[in-house]
Amino acid sequence: MTGPTLNVRSLCINYGPSAHPLRAVRDVSFQIAPGEAYGLIGESGSGKSTIAFTIMRYLRGGHADGQVWLAGQDVMRLPEAALTQVRGRVAAMVYQDPMSALNPSMRVGEQVAEAVRLHRGADRAAAAARAVELFERVHLPTPSDIAQRYAHQLSGGQQQRVVIAMALACDPKLLIMDEPTTGLDVTTEAVILELVRELRRETGVSVLFISHNMGVIAQVCDRVGVLYAGQLVEEGRTVEVLHAPRHPYTIGLMRAMPQPGGAAHRLASIPGRLPDLQDPPPGCVFAARCEIATDLCGDVMPALLPASGREASHGSRCHYRDEAEALLPPPPLIAHGKASLGAGAPLLEAVGLEKRFGRRSWLRRAAPVRAVHDVTLEIPPGQTLAVVGESGSGKSTLARCVAGLIVPDEGYVRLEETRLAAQVGRRSRLQQRDVQFIFQNPDGALNPHWTVKQLLSRPVQLYTDLRGDAVRRRVVDLLEMVNLGERYLGRFPREMSGGEKQRIGIARAFAGNPRLVICDEPTSALDISVQASILNELIALQARHGTAYLFVSHDLGVVRHVAHRVAIMRHGRIVEAGDPAEVFERPHDPYTRALIDAIPTLVPPPAVAEARVTQIVR
Amino acid sequence: MTALVFICRRLALLLLVLALVSILTFAIVNVLPGDVATAVLGDTSTPDQVQSVRIAMGLDQPLLVRYLHWIEGVLRGDFGASLQYGRPIGPMLLGRLENSAILGLITLAIGAPLAVGFGLVAALRPGGWLDRVISGFSVGTHALPEYVIGLVAILAFSIWWPLLPGSSLMDPSENPLHRPEALVLPVGVLVLGMLAVIGQLTRASAIGVLASAYIRTAVLKGVPYWRVVLRHALPNLLPPAIAEIGMYFGYVIGGLVVVETLFSYAGVGQMMTNAVAYRDVPTIQAAVLVVAAAYGVGNLLADVVALLTNPRLRT
Repeated sequence: MTGPTLNVRSLCINYGPSAHPLRAVRDVSFQIAPGEAYGLIGESGSGKSTIAFTIMRYLRGGHADGQVWLAGQDVMRLPEAALTQVRGRVAAMVYQDPMSALNPSMRVGEQVAEAVRLHRGADRAAAAARAVELFERVHLPTPSDIAQRYAHQLSGGQQQRVVIAMALACDPKLLIMDEPTTGLDVTTEAVILELVRELRRETGVSVLFISHNMGVIAQVCDRVGVLYAGQLVEEGRTVEVLHAPRHPYTIGLMRAMPQPGGAAHRLASIPGRLPDLQDPPPGCVFAARCEIATDLCGDVMPALLPASGREASHGSRCHYRDEAEALLPPPPLIAHGKASLGAGAPLLEAVGLEKRFGRRSWLRRAAPVRAVHDVTLEIPPGQTLAVVGESGSGKSTLARCVAGLIVPDEGYVRLEETRLAAQVGRRSRLQQRDVQFIFQNPDGALNPHWTVKQLLSRPVQLYTDLRGDAVRRRVVDLLEMVNLGERYLGRFPREMSGGEKQRIGIARAFAGNPRLVICDEPTSALDISVQASILNELIALQARHGTAYLFVSHDLGVVRHVAHRVAIMRHGRIVEAGDPAEVFERPHDPYTRALIDAIPTLVPPPAVAEARVTQIVR
Repeated sequence: MTALVFICRRLALLLLVLALVSILTFAIVNVLPGDVATAVLGDTSTPDQVQSVRIAMGLDQPLLVRYLHWIEGVLRGDFGASLQYGRPIGPMLLGRLENSAILGLITLAIGAPLAVGFGLVAALRPGGWLDRVISGFSVGTHALPEYVIGLVAILAFSIWWPLLPGSSLMDPSENPLHRPEALVLPVGVLVLGMLAVIGQLTRASAIGVLASAYIRTAVLKGVPYWRVVLRHALPNLLPPAIAEIGMYFGYVIGGLVVVETLFSYAGVGQMMTNAVAYRDVPTIQAAVLVVAAAYGVGNLLADVVALLTNPRLRT
């Protein structure tokens, strides 16, 4: 076959009433050549997953227009009955959360074998053998044993290998991977990405790779499309788009991405939010958030055209595509208040903390898990100690022990001279005020039935002497402090975006001028551009109020950006601690090194760069 | 291994519950106002007569002694003699239990698959016309008490249109399976009652399962939809229905007071109502204990089935 494996033409996807629909995807066209890997980058709400599922003709409650040519047939015009011959056979999918993508009550081998039986007409034994063979192909250890297991008996990385094996079962022409490594640990992510590269090399399958993470895209994809508010705003070879972007949105994304390599520059955040897709702007979709937008941008929608001095395949949907990078000022360098080591007594000290889960009893013989194992740490006033680790390392448990939300089995926490009660409820009001918490998931942390005013008034009344009108004034001050305004007072959590909700969480923590704020993955649920602004805000608040942070994260880039000191945690212990520059550039512990090496960087691995120079059909 | 430990633990727990039930029923029945001896002798008895009967029945003994005496008999299979009939309760109860079990098991065998099937069909298109018909019908029948449905059924099928007997009256020793026509109406009423609860439970569970990511995986693997529903969805939506069916087991064995009375069906439920009306204390105690055991066994069976069908509980 000579044509492209996938050819998406003028795809539009609408939701809701046809008279006034939500236009989730507008006029998106792209192609994927045989053997090519194409990346779709976008933040939440960009429509990237919607496009993926539309290619499989799996659109719940939406309406799609346009053409999706998959290996020579237009999927949009196939009768419903013919779809089972396309799904799993011509195109197969790999999903974001492998645990929930696998049937919990069916052995994983059978889940793979089923596809083989249906599409290949293989008998039971042959299909089962093929499943084991596929498990071997994706490097699962003891494949015939794994085939007999259920999803919950496998680790996250193994589950994703099973899903990939299932997708490969009938040698599809196109593999659609929807955020396949989001939610996996960084070391697991690295091996999955390596597997994808290897499969491409050896099977020549085309890949549509969807991600919000530019580092991951850079590791896998030959070409990339940047999606914003349902439109493709930039497209081109990965190296070109990521290293010399020609659209202000892409430029913004690149500058908002915290990288473990360099913490010198301030993260650029993209102000504002997605346009209302029920009434998309007539001009450029990004105009409202663009620093260099002019009247022209508001009125006339730019076309996706190549930038001058670039390959014809590198297109940008910006009127000022040639000047964009020059017009946008680079983010200022910031002088991070460096750690003044050894100066004075620590603000907070945790000594010998130990937490075990799962008691031995007459019902359970399993030994308890040591989530936190003899951890001692110090935080100087006004500084940030970052605790980094993968899932299950005990970092969140540690944070909760310090906060008094979990009572440790051994050890204690001291704030300056006084030893704090293990349970937050037993601490004095003043001590509670001094140690505050920002949670990972702002949705779960805010009472959905309270307005912002109620949410913020309560800590103000609890921790200050202010009463009556003064409380309201303080609440407004807090809102302004986190770059929200008085107009947010009457809003409920459901009326705000994720970033706005997290700002309320921050304002709540700062209501009583705390001395230490424990931040448990405060940005991991947010988009990169929003994450940048939240991180900048936390840094600014620290500079202004002299607050110390205990910052828990799995993201080394983020940590590198905010931390004065960093501690790497594994299996409940701190394996390495020190100055971030020191730890990241010269890690002593092999685990730390593995963690740092696993971070997907924007530099593509040499193997892929030369593996396939793809002829781009345009 | 763990499954065996689990079942043994649940058995021990069941025995504990039965012991507590025996204490409770014994206590409640014996502290109720009114004297059994008076009840036996009638209103015209003299105090002397009452006293001698009390001694004969052991009612002058302390409560604890009477309880221990009773429970010791129960453990030997001797539930004492019925005050009403003067015959030993054990064999009588056994016959009744068999009748109730026949009625109950037939009801479960028809009702459970039917209810699960209706719930599943309704869940395929929530809000669709089929869902509205099924859900409306089952909620409607659920809102009507069993005796109303029962009376309407008798009126319709044995009086206006005399197809079936309106009463299942038969000798307690007669096997109801020899008169299947007498079972149709009671089973029908009971099945209608089941449809609502188990059907709606299955529907809710099925809607959740059908919206889950692994169902999407199966569809996008190219599996035909009917097969997705039967192979991928059904095993995962059953657990709540199984738990509820387990509860129903206890109910249909021992709790069919209304239906059995309505159709004059000689089961445990009818026996209990008679015994209460007559203040036949030993019979009440025996019947309550049996019903409690039926509930316990039903729950245990449900747990075992859940254990066998859910791999996550098994390992």
